[in-house]
Amino acid sequence: MSYMLPVEMESIDNESIHEFKDEILSIPEMKAQKSQPIQELGEGSFSGGLQAKGDDKMWRNVVCRSIKTVVLSNKLNMLMPFGPLAIFVHIFTGHNGWVFFLTLLGITPLAERLGYATEQLAFYTGPTVGGLLNATFGNATELIISIYALKHGMLRVVQQSLLGSILSNMLLVLGCAFFCGGLVFQDKEQVFNKATAVVNSGLLLMAVMGLLFPAVLHYTHTEVHFGKSELALSRFSSCIMLLAYAIYLFFQLKSQKNLYVPLNEEGSQNEENSDDDDETPEISKWESIIWLIIMTSWISFLSEYLVNAIKGASVAWKIPISFISVILLPIVGNAAEHASAIMFAMKDKLDISLGVAIGSSTQISMFGIPFCVVIGWIMGRPMDLNFQLFETATLFITVLVVAFLLQDGTSNYFKGLMLILCYLIVAASFFVHVDPSAADEAGT
Amino acid sequence: MVHLPSRPVMPNSWIARHIGMRAVRSIYIVLLKAKINMLLPFGPLAILLHYVTGKHGWVFFFSLLGIIPLAERLGYATEQLAFYTGPTVGGLLNATFGNATEMIISIYALKNGMIRVVQQSLLGSILSNMLLVLGCAFFSGGIVHYNKVQVFNKSAAVVNSGLLLMAVMGIMFPAVLHFTRTEVHFGKSELALSRFSSCIMLVAYASYLFFQLRSHRSLYNPINEEGDNDQDCDEDEIPEITHWEAIGWLSVLTVWVSILSGYLVDAIQGASDSFNIPVAFISVILLPIVGNAAEHASAIMFAMKDKLDITLGVAIGSSTQISMFVIPFCVVVGWIMGEPMDLNFQLFETATLFITVLVVAFMLQEGTSNYFKGLMLILCYLIVAASFFVHVDPSNDAN
Repeated sequence: MSYMLPVEMESIDNESIHEFKDEILSIPEMKAQKSQPIQELGEGSFSGGLQAKGDDKMWRNVVCRSIKTVVLSNKLNMLMPFGPLAIFVHIFTGHNGWVFFLTLLGITPLAERLGYATEQLAFYTGPTVGGLLNATFGNATELIISIYALKHGMLRVVQQSLLGSILSNMLLVLGCAFFCGGLVFQDKEQVFNKATAVVNSGLLLMAVMGLLFPAVLHYTHTEVHFGKSELALSRFSSCIMLLAYAIYLFFQLKSQKNLYVPLNEEGSQNEENSDDDDETPEISKWESIIWLIIMTSWISFLSEYLVNAIKGASVAWKIPISFISVILLPIVGNAAEHASAIMFAMKDKLDISLGVAIGSSTQISMFGIPFCVVIGWIMGRPMDLNFQLFETATLFITVLVVAFLLQDGTSNYFKGLMLILCYLIVAASFFVHVDPSAADEAGT
Repeated sequence: MVHLPSRPVMPNSWIARHIGMRAVRSIYIVLLKAKINMLLPFGPLAILLHYVTGKHGWVFFFSLLGIIPLAERLGYATEQLAFYTGPTVGGLLNATFGNATEMIISIYALKNGMIRVVQQSLLGSILSNMLLVLGCAFFSGGIVHYNKVQVFNKSAAVVNSGLLLMAVMGIMFPAVLHFTRTEVHFGKSELALSRFSSCIMLVAYASYLFFQLRSHRSLYNPINEEGDNDQDCDEDEIPEITHWEAIGWLSVLTVWVSILSGYLVDAIQGASDSFNIPVAFISVILLPIVGNAAEHASAIMFAMKDKLDITLGVAIGSSTQISMFVIPFCVVVGWIMGEPMDLNFQLFETATLFITVLVVAFMLQEGTSNYFKGLMLILCYLIVAASFFVHVDPSNDAN
């Protein structure tokens, strides 16, 4: 959940408690069953909930309600039992293929709930810190999986899963969103804010540049110290990319807030009341933080099993590891963003869809990847930005195609279909792609 | 004169004479009226030369000259047929038969196992449409209308550029996979990937046709269409031959083009030896110039009449059609024939296509044209042609 909603968050922030209560009462029926516990919770938390601390029963109620809101209310959470099931299978059978599959299924709802907890926390912290939270925790799942893989020295898996996450966000998620939105709104052309798309495309191209140079340097065998130069270059480039990302955040959150107002926002805020953006927080601030911590630890726990099972799954199912890392892992990691992007596109809020999809890609390419390089540096792992020629070329052509399609600021179902078909071509290419790095390392 | 007057029952001799007259009139309209048909005799001459002298250089040259008028007449017959079938099927007809010449030549080359010739001639056709035809059109139009900037519909150009980029993507992956030696089964993986990608590209092309013909017809209205009612323009032309005549001529011309293509393809290798030109140059530059000669002429003519949308439709639409329909179609035909035709166009050709698509997409995106843009495109084509003049195929080394 990495999209920025500075204006909506501002409006929530400025409301007084009484307006807050009035808004609760005006939430339509679909939220009605939640409004009762919210109202009580609201009164409990907002008017000095500390007075409930002394009462044990009140505590238990709060915890139960919290669990109910966070864990049980979402249909996706049916997949949650797969997590512990995966651990059982791992301990008892050691069948890596199934462990991998079940862990994948188990992480999906956790990733979604993590995003939900981040959103909820963002309501309390105000737009700036909220945006920062979204920017950092938006792809927490991918980051956690990557850090575990790094720890195990599976550098190619890290590179490929991050690359696959970028590709899946740019092509699959965006394509599905455009396609569904275009089908629902067949009679008109959906528009979105060009400026955001262009800035994000520029950042993605900059990331491609950062990835291209070490790869080409290595491939043309023209570096000063073979093998060591790209590592040094990668680490330097990563610091620069992190700096660029920090400045981008600053730019987005502080200076140019008016640049990112979505095109049809003026009408939408007054008319629609089934608006997800005007949703009020459903759990309190401390609950959000606690749930954030719980979800993160749970995901870390499952990621351990996931990463351990990758190689075994590849052998058991006869699929190249690159296909698992580039296509399967990210589809799962992005499942929640996928669903929300499609939903927003069907509600004709393309700016939010774009923020989810392209913003997530930007975040991974300008923050996630350099961050992993730096973590690798700290851990002493030789993680670099040399993603090997094939992957780099794939990223390059994909960024170009997407940047081109986004630049005129309109969308229709055909564009979405094109993006999805491009993703199928990319997936097919990785299905028949073996990694040369094993051969390279043997050679050097 | 489209409809015949109602005639009473007549004796058979009159009917036979009438049909004879109509056939003669038809032949007159289709074969003798256009000036380009002066080149028609070169066709039979080429066949004669093939059997009498066997001098491949001349056979090749004459077949080239002989095919040009046939290709143009084929386009004419398709246009005429499109008058009768309505816009939807007419558009489909144009989309399929628009590059019938290239398709026929490619299928013959495929049958002879000359896979590189197929790949290079299709690539050359895309390059020539995007650079040479478009460049000449922009240049001529810009010179005729030099006091104003000509405009065209941006969204059609953008959609076509997006499709071209998608085609480049489809062609790039097998090439890069092969080049970095990172496929699972060396030599076999790119073939499987190419066939899968070709099916996807055909699906994309079909949806593009659907999208263009059904849903978003309003997006493709030319910008200056309102002014057409005053001018005496080609679009309001009435059909000159009847429905059945059009179909008949379509079949006759297709057969004629196929026959000549057979001789053309057989003579390529010999021509390359006798003229001392690389086969790559012949396939990429010479063949497509001929195949596109008619489109070339019509694009320039429309640009000079300030109807840039039609020009773009001819040039860029033809490129899109070749890249998203003909190339995947040839891969599928090769699949059926059992020939290992794949999308791996070798790195040099793929890189050329990539950079060309980028340059053209970039130049088209603002929706205006002037003679300088045209000149730039033509000069780019000269650079591409020169590159292929000094390019040898490495595929023999790889095998």
